[in-house]
Amino acid sequence: MIKADHVYKTFKTTDRREVKALVDFSTHITKGEVVVIIGPSGSGKSTFLRCLNRLEEIDSGEIVIDGVDIHDKRENINKIREEIGMVFQLFNLFPHKTVLENVTLAQIVVRKRSKEQAVETARGLLKKVGILEKENVYPSQLSGGQQQRVAIARALAMHPKIMMFDEATSALDPEMIGEVLDVMKTLAREGMTMVVVTHEMGFAREVSDRVIFMDDGQIVEEGTAEHFFVNPTHERTKLFLSQIL
Amino acid sequence: MSFNKRSLITLAILAVIVGSAYYFFARKGITYIWHWESIPEMLVYYGSKSAEDAEPRLRMGILMIGFVLTLKISIFSIIFGIIIGTIVGIARLSNEPVTRWLSLTYVELIRNTPLLVQIYIIYFFVGALLRLSAFAAGTAALSIFAGAYVGEIVRAGIQSIHKGQMEASRSLGMSYAQAMRYIVLPQAFKRIIPPLAGQFISLVKDSSLVSVIALADLMFQGQQAVARTYHAFEIYFTVAALYLVMTFALSMATQYVERRLAISD
Repeated sequence: MIKADHVYKTFKTTDRREVKALVDFSTHITKGEVVVIIGPSGSGKSTFLRCLNRLEEIDSGEIVIDGVDIHDKRENINKIREEIGMVFQLFNLFPHKTVLENVTLAQIVVRKRSKEQAVETARGLLKKVGILEKENVYPSQLSGGQQQRVAIARALAMHPKIMMFDEATSALDPEMIGEVLDVMKTLAREGMTMVVVTHEMGFAREVSDRVIFMDDGQIVEEGTAEHFFVNPTHERTKLFLSQIL
Repeated sequence: MSFNKRSLITLAILAVIVGSAYYFFARKGITYIWHWESIPEMLVYYGSKSAEDAEPRLRMGILMIGFVLTLKISIFSIIFGIIIGTIVGIARLSNEPVTRWLSLTYVELIRNTPLLVQIYIIYFFVGALLRLSAFAAGTAALSIFAGAYVGEIVRAGIQSIHKGQMEASRSLGMSYAQAMRYIVLPQAFKRIIPPLAGQFISLVKDSSLVSVIALADLMFQGQQAVARTYHAFEIYFTVAALYLVMTFALSMATQYVERRLAISD
């Protein structure tokens, strides 16, 4: 479903140094697979996610999703993005819109659904993430965990084929992490194709099919969550895991 | 309002300043005979205007006619100023270098030359070429002038919106234009209401400059009335008060809008 091959991505910092975010990065993700990407900050995890829906342009290589080369300038990127939901670390809800409007807006203006249809879909999803009673409040009145669940509902409302989570629980207070992870686990069990950047190894162990450990823009080691718990091979991986576990 | 020791001291200082100013002018011995009674008929009067229009009825006086024209010019300039400013603000942030340079050139050109000169150029040069009326030329000059300032305010407003908002919109499949229209601009406009209000209040006052192209606005009519009656103090005080009515109403209106939009905070 997702084929990333030999992807290179370099950032220029403000003092004109070059930072290699992705170096010859290749991975294939099949339909229904739940892939967790871990690694120290600055290792290129988020960059990879952002390249998957072209929030970042790649320097070279190829990313093909469902047979479409998404970095091909001739492709309509907006059409591709409809199929890829993204959940951000800082939620990025629309603060001037109510919870319900947050979830219906893109359905109406992008998917061209009728208002009634959009509201029906939105209510269903808000119920699923357990926050239906808050549909008429503004995001600023919600807790972080509630906001993130709304953000997940908003992404799901487009009925995407892939869901990406960019450190979705990193900005949350500890007691709220569980409620967001529960929603993510439900999605994973329902067969959604997911690419998840996270430090939550418990989540990886419970639902992931594969864990990728990245450092310096490259894959250092990949395998099942069990593999990482039981016998990680690289020193770098062992060091990292000892720090986060 | 509650008064404490500090506000009493402030009031005392104020009283001393006003008192000494009055004493100073009184000693100077200015003898001016006030003719406030000539003002009301400059606002509204009951009577006939000319031989052709002789039927007596309630009519607008000279200052009120000027007031209405100033109001019209101001409203048109504010509307066009917002339109031009929004386009320029977005253009200033374009990825396209030519668009960016063009909009920057416009902003710098307009902000760094006097409005009075711009009014003359637009009326006598552009206006003559395109056969613009004084009203059209005056409104165009003020709109173009306001557009440059509003453009910079809009640009700052857009830049103040966290880039995650644009990214979230785009990740949902919205185009750049849709993200701007539904997500970024509404939030930006809410944030820039205070500086915009200041800009538009300035614009109402700056509109008095169009009197130089014989556009019969409030300022122009005031000058005419002074030339006829020599009641300079009364008339200019009245003209100032009429500008104040417009700018104060604008202030109140923007504060109301700001309060209404604050519900999502």
